[in-house]
Amino acid sequence: MQTSLSSSSSSDTKPEMKEHCDHRADCLKMIQLILDGEATEQQLAGVKANLESCKPCIEMYHLEQEVKELLTKRIEKRCCPEQLVATIKSRILTFS
Amino acid sequence: MATIHEVMSDTPTRDEDQLLPDGEPIEQPSADTPARGYTDEQKYRIFNKEFMPHIDSMYNFAFRLTTDEDDANDLVQDTYLKAFRFISSFEQGTNAKAWLFRILKNSFINDYRKKSKEPAKVDYQDVETTYNSEDAESEHTVDLRAESVSDLIGDEVATALNSLPVDFRTVIILCDIEGFTYEEMAKILDIPIGTVRSRLHRARNLLKEKLRDYASSMGYKEENEE
Ligand SMILES: [Zn+2]
Repeated sequence: MQTSLSSSSSSDTKPEMKEHCDHRADCLKMIQLILDGEATEQQLAGVKANLESCKPCIEMYHLEQEVKELLTKRIEKRCCPEQLVATIKSRILTFS
Repeated sequence: MATIHEVMSDTPTRDEDQLLPDGEPIEQPSADTPARGYTDEQKYRIFNKEFMPHIDSMYNFAFRLTTDEDDANDLVQDTYLKAFRFISSFEQGTNAKAWLFRILKNSFINDYRKKSKEPAKVDYQDVETTYNSEDAESEHTVDLRAESVSDLIGDEVATALNSLPVDFRTVIILCDIEGFTYEEMAKILDIPIGTVRSRLHRARNLLKEKLRDYASSMGYKEENEE
């Protein structure tokens, strides 16, 4: 359930941007739900307009997205050593 | 003044209930998961077809938890042997990955965490000062721009992640690296979904603070270039 903040049509006049957010902490929680794909349609509909017109929230959204990408794409994935796979397969053969 | 026990009060503590007399974690018995009478042939087939495909993810999880290759090896081996021994409590075709991750997490807590050097590495002070009240937790946002961390390299991100207390590190690994849903995480960790959500929120705030420290120590400035 990913959503894009930059998807609003470019032909529309931009909505007036809010420079300050009175609900940063709550907005942040909602942003995380959205990026985790855990927000319901209802929750999405309720916050989408606000997220698109609130500057601090857009910045938080980009930060959360960036941090998530750092974790998924930049940290090296360790693969299981072949030797361990072989050991496990031979160990279970001795079970019964 | 909150003690570390209060601060860490959402730490899983129910694992003792799930131990067999010999200390092995098993699935909680429930009406819809009766023990299955698999034949030996079926057991090996389930093991090879449903468990082994997750071994790289399992190893990566073990390595991120223990931050040590030898410990990760032992933990993955123990987990797979336990999984085979308790294979009758696994329902063929269900979520093998979550089932395996849960066993690994329990093995880590019961067998490895006690003997690891974890406590020395945990920056309790940091957790305590940031999260010693509910208010501080719910109102807390980290002042940081995406551009400030976008140049960090994998090792720096990994070091920041490793510096988090293990319960916080775990939720980030499960959610962001392994892509489990909140519901799956709740089952793996034996905690309510609401706790998954709040622990993840706290974990990410801590991680962002670590990343901010890294970014500023590496000389990336909070400049607005546009
Ligand atoms: Zn806002």
